[in-house]
Amino acid sequence: MNSAFFLIREALEGLKRARLSAAIATLTITVSIVLFGTFLIITLNLSRYIEMLKSRLEIEVFIDDSFSDEKIQVIREHLTAIDGVSDVVFISKEMAIREFHRLFDQEPADYFEALGFNPLPASFRLKLAPDYLTSGHADRVVQDIVAIDAIDARDIRYDRRILLIIENNVELAVAVDVAVGAIICLSALLLVSNNIRLIIFSRRKLIQTMKLVGATNFFIRAPLFIQGVIQGVTGGFIACCFLYLVVALTSIQVTNLIVVSSSVYPLMVVLGGALGLLGSLTAVRRYL
Amino acid sequence: MIKIHNASMRYPNGDGLDRISLEVKSGEFVYLVGPTGAGKSSVLKLIYMEQKPSSGYVVVDRDNSNEVGDRQIPFIRRKLGIIFQDFKLLEDRDVFENVAFTLRVTAAGQKEVKKKTLRALAEVGMSHKSRKMPDELSGGEQQRIAIARAIVNYPLILLADEPTANLDPKTSVAILNILDRVNARGTAVLMATHHYELVNCSNKRVVSIKNGTVVF
Repeated sequence: MNSAFFLIREALEGLKRARLSAAIATLTITVSIVLFGTFLIITLNLSRYIEMLKSRLEIEVFIDDSFSDEKIQVIREHLTAIDGVSDVVFISKEMAIREFHRLFDQEPADYFEALGFNPLPASFRLKLAPDYLTSGHADRVVQDIVAIDAIDARDIRYDRRILLIIENNVELAVAVDVAVGAIICLSALLLVSNNIRLIIFSRRKLIQTMKLVGATNFFIRAPLFIQGVIQGVTGGFIACCFLYLVVALTSIQVTNLIVVSSSVYPLMVVLGGALGLLGSLTAVRRYL
Repeated sequence: MIKIHNASMRYPNGDGLDRISLEVKSGEFVYLVGPTGAGKSSVLKLIYMEQKPSSGYVVVDRDNSNEVGDRQIPFIRRKLGIIFQDFKLLEDRDVFENVAFTLRVTAAGQKEVKKKTLRALAEVGMSHKSRKMPDELSGGEQQRIAIARAIVNYPLILLADEPTANLDPKTSVAILNILDRVNARGTAVLMATHHYELVNCSNKRVVSIKNGTVVF
């Protein structure tokens, strides 16, 4: 316990002595984690929007006006049995009209009284299970629907284009995201490592003397590891506070524009600590 | 207690030691004399295992240089006290912490650290300067602190590498008196020096070294 306190005190004294370079290293970690955190938040929100867009996808199957209730019921059973279909909702002709009014804010009399009949067809709206929200799966579901007797391919509508756009761009976005995140982390790692290297270099005579009086490598290295972790955690904490403020201020302007999971902030602090520890480990292994 | 047997070592520039044998028994005071560059410091380095012999061996207490690994060396050094002509004090901390450091590396408790450190400082007559920084002290005072640091953990042997080389004659005598007192309490001392006049005034065992070999 005495040694632990002593090593922590040594680390703090060391930071105090090299306060300028320690401050620069901490600031570097702060900037790196702000950038990384920004990318992380953008990525998470992007995937949230993508999931939201995908979850809105519906396959609409229009029903001929001449179909009897029994036939409609049989079709419903077939649709429900299709692999990947999570929900089937029947929209009657009356419901379709009400929806039309809701969407276009018009009274029913305006259009349909002039026509003398309801031109909107009844339909089934199918939701796909989350794992089936791809163009490939959607196509297979459509094939299964077409296979149902009395349903024609022309009676089926869904926005395949949105799925294709998402599928074609998500992989690229994730790859760019991971690459940028890795570059940012690596640069922070190198800067922390360089800072610890400078500390080792400036203290090489002291380190030599410490070894001569019987200090083990661990005893000499531990304060440097602690310094790295302190710099990292401090940098991570400042970055976390900064991003929290930015997100909070943005949310005042537009509610729910950016949603950040509560685990992201502690993750930044942990990431900072890990970067600091890895940086000091790299320097100590190479130069001590 | 300390035994060097037929030990040889070479530096990249060709200097070194050639089949040196030397034994220091418990409680002995031995002068290691020789001109500058004769190999005195190298002998001490073999003992505190900064260098390992290319042939022969060195035994410190029960540890043989041919058998110990790098990880064991700090623990061997804790049985030794080492002082240098350039003092090698830790300039980033005060006198008390310089002396206490030897104990702190052994994970000694705070009470023990305080008690032993103050006792060591009292032995070298530096209690009153315990909160001074090394650069606020004279050369003689710094060497006293170095001695206090070396003896604070009751070593088996005190290795002194030219401890008076940077000091005036009066201060040198004072340092030798301290080493005598340390030796009188039972700690062996091996002191390397090229000040023959200091050696000639004493009746202690002298080992002379020249060109890397023991000449008598």
